[in-house]
Amino acid sequence: MERKRLIICVILAVMCAWSAAAPSVRAAEPIVIGVATSLGFLEGRESMKAVQMAVDEINAAGGVKVGAAARPFRVESIDLRDAAPGVPVPEALLGLEKIILEKKPTALMVGPFRSEALIAGMDIIAKYKVPLLGTIAMAPGSEAKIKADPQKYKYVFRTCLNAVHLVKFLAGTMGAINKQFGFNKVYVMTQDVAWARATADLVKKLYFDKSGWTVLGMESYPTGTSDFSSALMKARSQGAQVIMPVFDMPQSGTLVKQWNTMKVPTIMAGFVSPLAGSEAWKIFDGKIGGVLNTTFELGSAMAASKLPASTDFMNKYQKKYGQEIQAGHGPAPSYESVYILKEAIERAGSLESDAVVAGLEKTDRRGVMGRIRYDDGHQAVYGFDPAETSVSLVSQWTDSGKRVVVFPDSLAENMIQLPAGLKSLK
Amino acid sequence: MFAGTVVFALINSSILILLAIGFNLTFGISGVANFAYGALYIMSAYLSWTMLNLLHLPFWASAALSIVFTTISGAMMYRFVLLRVRGQALSEVIATFGIGLSILELFRYLGLVGFEYTLPVFWNESFMIAGAYVDIQRIIIVLIALVLVLGLWLFTHFTSTGLAFRGIAQDERTALTFGIDSDRIATLSVSFGAGLAAIAATIIIPLGSIAPDEGYDVLIKALAVCIIGGLGSTGGVIVAGVIIGFAERFTDSYIGSHWTMIVSLAAILLVLAIKPSGLFGQQKELEERI
Repeated sequence: MERKRLIICVILAVMCAWSAAAPSVRAAEPIVIGVATSLGFLEGRESMKAVQMAVDEINAAGGVKVGAAARPFRVESIDLRDAAPGVPVPEALLGLEKIILEKKPTALMVGPFRSEALIAGMDIIAKYKVPLLGTIAMAPGSEAKIKADPQKYKYVFRTCLNAVHLVKFLAGTMGAINKQFGFNKVYVMTQDVAWARATADLVKKLYFDKSGWTVLGMESYPTGTSDFSSALMKARSQGAQVIMPVFDMPQSGTLVKQWNTMKVPTIMAGFVSPLAGSEAWKIFDGKIGGVLNTTFELGSAMAASKLPASTDFMNKYQKKYGQEIQAGHGPAPSYESVYILKEAIERAGSLESDAVVAGLEKTDRRGVMGRIRYDDGHQAVYGFDPAETSVSLVSQWTDSGKRVVVFPDSLAENMIQLPAGLKSLK
Repeated sequence: MFAGTVVFALINSSILILLAIGFNLTFGISGVANFAYGALYIMSAYLSWTMLNLLHLPFWASAALSIVFTTISGAMMYRFVLLRVRGQALSEVIATFGIGLSILELFRYLGLVGFEYTLPVFWNESFMIAGAYVDIQRIIIVLIALVLVLGLWLFTHFTSTGLAFRGIAQDERTALTFGIDSDRIATLSVSFGAGLAAIAATIIIPLGSIAPDEGYDVLIKALAVCIIGGLGSTGGVIVAGVIIGFAERFTDSYIGSHWTMIVSLAAILLVLAIKPSGLFGQQKELEERI
């Protein structure tokens, strides 16, 4: 009898303890972050890892304060595949809707690669009222949509660079080349895709035409091209001093190799995505010395010693995953977006989406990419001073396989160096 | 500029001939239009990459093994799939296209996409020809294209297997009466075609990168060259390769790079309209029909 009574007492005690602990268990229910992007592509893969790293850091530090309770983040992901050629936008949208319905995320991160998928997906995001912090798609069309109907589309934010800010950086680089060497004859080569052509057209319209440059030619190449000899011969024969490439296809590294092997007497400055990471030197047989390449966001594949937060981020990533970041677009803003979300939730004191959006709009954070604030189109503001805005950077590959930051001045470690055999006009 | 364009046009022509010669060999002998050709090209490149970067084998060993493996894959594809549908053109196309699609989409599914997937150049130097610097890899491509075309001619004219190839290509029934095993020869032709695709991949991929989409491009280019030259005609492949190669580079240099892709497709349409069997094609019945 005594034994029975003892067992009943123990059971009751356990039940009491469990019910007393239940509120805190409930409070510790994770906040789901949905990473919906093209996970098979480098930028998507590394952005996902950056999100996970930020989540692990936040959870280790005690989680996110939602009112009085502290809750951890949990990452769920889905491969939208929209970066692959031929994958229709509706398929990417199905993936977006699937993760929202099945995983019930508090917010989405990274987002579609292709801007048309993002713009079309904004209606799904508005329908389910799930904030998205995009870090890949770059067309400013999404901002225009937000400005046209802010109440409906206010859930979409972009932490990465957009095409307008990229134009600003390319123009800035050309300005620096002109100032330092007096060059003003350029040959423009782009990938035959909308964003690249539009970027080149904008640089021409907003900078080259207004600054007395001569644009000797503008060539666009279908995705997959691996012979750029004709344009390089034209650039040489027409006396180009600068070649401005705008490419994000894997084969575009071949353009730089061919520029090197054909010994075209120009400086190459622009954006060639495969040249962003440290591995490019080995992959392209060491034939990329002298090239100036834009890294879309400070911390994505390239840090600047003048902003220690960017160096810390890259070191932490390498320590955690055993390899350096190779994508020049995505990882840094993805990492920052998790902290931005954390701060927004803590400001809101709730997970209710409108309150979180209000919290996101108040973002003013200093981190890996500099100072992060969103404008009225929910685009992170990019400029040349990390104390004031987020920053991109331009680095130059040296002949010994190192990358040196040369632009903007606030981050520059050295002046731009002319490739061997090229003479300054100043 | 003109001389430089001619040099790069010759290189481009050699690349096109290399890409098409395996497809043409298979079709010319066995009558099988191997729509998995582009996938075999890419598969061979991924195999080389894997052996080179993950197994850390020397490049020459990786390349040789991938060529051998791809050649065997071609033979297996014929023995286990195509043999059952041989002679039914539509079924052959569906089967080979299905195999090619599966291979390429599997690579995409595995996430094997990115600039890091490439093969090293044989010789990392360049020198000047006709006022233009050309890298040695491109010169090697021209030389290997010449050697392969010559080797193929010698093989089909001076070896018993090669003569059997020609016998089957000329008249399969008559060849059978001479004791030539048409299934064996057809297996070899698909296998050799796959091997030639692998050789092409080994020397051309170092100029670009390995990507599933490249497999579709290779198939389209091989088809374009073979259709224009005349399916099954080796001479036709060479002439069509030169025509398209020069047309592409001169379009690129003197009209605009974004028109380059249109050239080969327009050439196909033109040839199909005027001479449906191709410049050197022997499918006369096609012409008789129109």
